[in-house]
Amino acid sequence: MNGAQHILDAFHRHGISTVFGYPGGCIMPLYDALVDDVGTEHVLCRHEQGCALAADGYARASGQLGVCIATSGPGATNLITGVANAHRDSIPMLVITGQVPSGLIGTDAFQETDVLGMTLGIVKHSYLVDSADELAAIMDEAIELAQSGRPGPVWVDIPKDVLLASAPARSCEPEAASAAKTASATTDISEAMTMLRSARKPLLYSGGGVSLAHAEDSFREFTQTAALPSVVTLKGIGNSGKHSAHHLGMLGMHGSRAANRAVDECDLLLVIGARLDDRATGKLDTFAPNARTIHIDADAAEINKLRSVDLALRGDLNGILQAMTTEFKSAPLAISDWQTQCRTWNTTGGFSAADNEEPLAPITGPAFVRQLSRIAPDDTVIACDVGQHQMWVAQHYQFDHPRHHLSSGGLGTMGFGLPAAIGAQFADRRSTVINVAGDGSFMMNAQELATIRRYNLPLKMIILDNQCLGMVRQQQELFYSNRESQINLDDNPDFVAMARAFDIPALHIERTDQIRRGIETILAYDGPMLLHVAIAREENVWPIVKPGASNREMIDETKKRTTTAQREHVA
Amino acid sequence: MNPSTQPANQPSTPSYTLTCRMSQEAAALERLCQVVRIRGFKIARMAVESAGEHLDIALTLEGTRPIAMLQAQLLKLHTVAEVVLDQGALARSLRA
Ligand SMILES: Cc1ncc(C[n+]2csc(CCOP(=O)(O)OP(=O)(O)O)c2C)c(N)n1
Repeated sequence: MNGAQHILDAFHRHGISTVFGYPGGCIMPLYDALVDDVGTEHVLCRHEQGCALAADGYARASGQLGVCIATSGPGATNLITGVANAHRDSIPMLVITGQVPSGLIGTDAFQETDVLGMTLGIVKHSYLVDSADELAAIMDEAIELAQSGRPGPVWVDIPKDVLLASAPARSCEPEAASAAKTASATTDISEAMTMLRSARKPLLYSGGGVSLAHAEDSFREFTQTAALPSVVTLKGIGNSGKHSAHHLGMLGMHGSRAANRAVDECDLLLVIGARLDDRATGKLDTFAPNARTIHIDADAAEINKLRSVDLALRGDLNGILQAMTTEFKSAPLAISDWQTQCRTWNTTGGFSAADNEEPLAPITGPAFVRQLSRIAPDDTVIACDVGQHQMWVAQHYQFDHPRHHLSSGGLGTMGFGLPAAIGAQFADRRSTVINVAGDGSFMMNAQELATIRRYNLPLKMIILDNQCLGMVRQQQELFYSNRESQINLDDNPDFVAMARAFDIPALHIERTDQIRRGIETILAYDGPMLLHVAIAREENVWPIVKPGASNREMIDETKKRTTTAQREHVA
Repeated sequence: MNPSTQPANQPSTPSYTLTCRMSQEAAALERLCQVVRIRGFKIARMAVESAGEHLDIALTLEGTRPIAMLQAQLLKLHTVAEVVLDQGALARSLRA
């Protein structure tokens, strides 16, 4: 077996059946081995960034490892944004690149780049493989490492001569023991329970760590039993399900007033799988000022990183949640006043966007997303891009599971949505997958329309077209004296014609009374289809907290001014 | 900044001595230095000794952020086996 065949062998041993890649000089031995391979579906995207983001979307939707492959030099550099995106959101990913032959490394050879050096800050770990003899063991370790503890991308850079060199077949199965450092098992659940029981206003704050730990079901049971009022981060959306009586929605910069108010007033914050990111906390000094904090996380380095906590629990999240659920079953919390208060806030300070009943009125983003949420099947996967439309989805779409909402959180990568939707569709060919994009974001990876056509993926694309970089325009309006700078996109291509050029049918709508039919038409179509939705340029995302300001200082839609006390707006 | 404009009583940046053991691998030292830099510390002194499959690295670092945070980040590196803060050196630097 040569090095390339060892890679495929590792795919088979680890149950990796789908990979996203793009060939080129130094990775050609692997592409040659693929010709004879049975069992690996290689998806050819049209740009390496598309490969990495599709692998990311595959991993987010399936909970399994995402794999992307590229050649050296430009292939590897094109992957970088997608890998950074996975790194910031702790997505399990294996990245394989060809490298120039060992003897040419360091000679400025054709398509040589120092991949190891330039990716140090965006990987969980990386390898430059010295010999084909090591390759099988490195593959096993890399695959294990990417998925264990706090997941993340692991990059394996392989010189061409190593791909071609022969090495004996791996004689034994990969070791079951984890190659990664395991989390400490010292968890003090009883102390957490004591703190929760002595709190009058406990609040649950959860993030993407719940699904990363595959703890969605334990979490759901925990929230139902504990009946704690709860808020989520962007990546935690869906954790509580869409029918939770005590859920207040997303907190933070574009969070609901109810969620931010509850954080402001709570006396105990139970943080689960979240890292207290600045988009969620706003100005840290004023964040949850009255609360003691319990932090449950897989990553020791997150504990006390931004806020000192009173108690930290680490270890298997499923186990911790199940133990706490048992405690709550035998003795529920007595916090009915606080629950009632939070429910009242949610009624008056949740995300409200009155549906516009006027049939000829222009479409607004929130109204469209609300309709989409009502019409699309419950298990629909929505892959967003980045901008206002992303926030409207986060605010107004009712998600029943965190793996149904794919959104670039930590990196905020425009162009994420279309390739991520492709990945999600490969994760489950029968599921309903919708990319909700802005007109700016859509153009960042529009080449992937060709991938959708090639594989006849039935995914749906929705462009909320406001003819500008809406989120930037909004911040220029609010924080830069309305001095618009380089945000105009009124010379966008004709998106309907563009889709059709890729042999993908498309529909244009612009009036409120066309929303329902538009959505129903694309959902009913048995193949890929694009819905182009013209929306008003001036529409903003409300509420908003100025970057760096306190979450108490939400800017209100009607007043367009900072309100220092949310109390005015939340009864 | 012109040193003469610095107030005489301005506290000096805290300094720490860490020893670190990590596996020998292609990018070992770069990996370590990258984390030190991005997490807000400067390397004032660094001594590296190769010991079989390991590297033993002694670092004198300066920075205003909590050193425990850097230790936690370094320990996350897959190839780092151990990070020890020299408490004696810490006490001496705090007294200074
Ligand atoms: C790759 C990348 N470049 C730039 C940005 C900065 N940015 C954030 S939102 C945004 C505007 C997005 O415009 P569009 O996709 O049309 O969405 P809208 O806000 O209008 O809904 C920009 C430029 C980014 N997040 N990602």
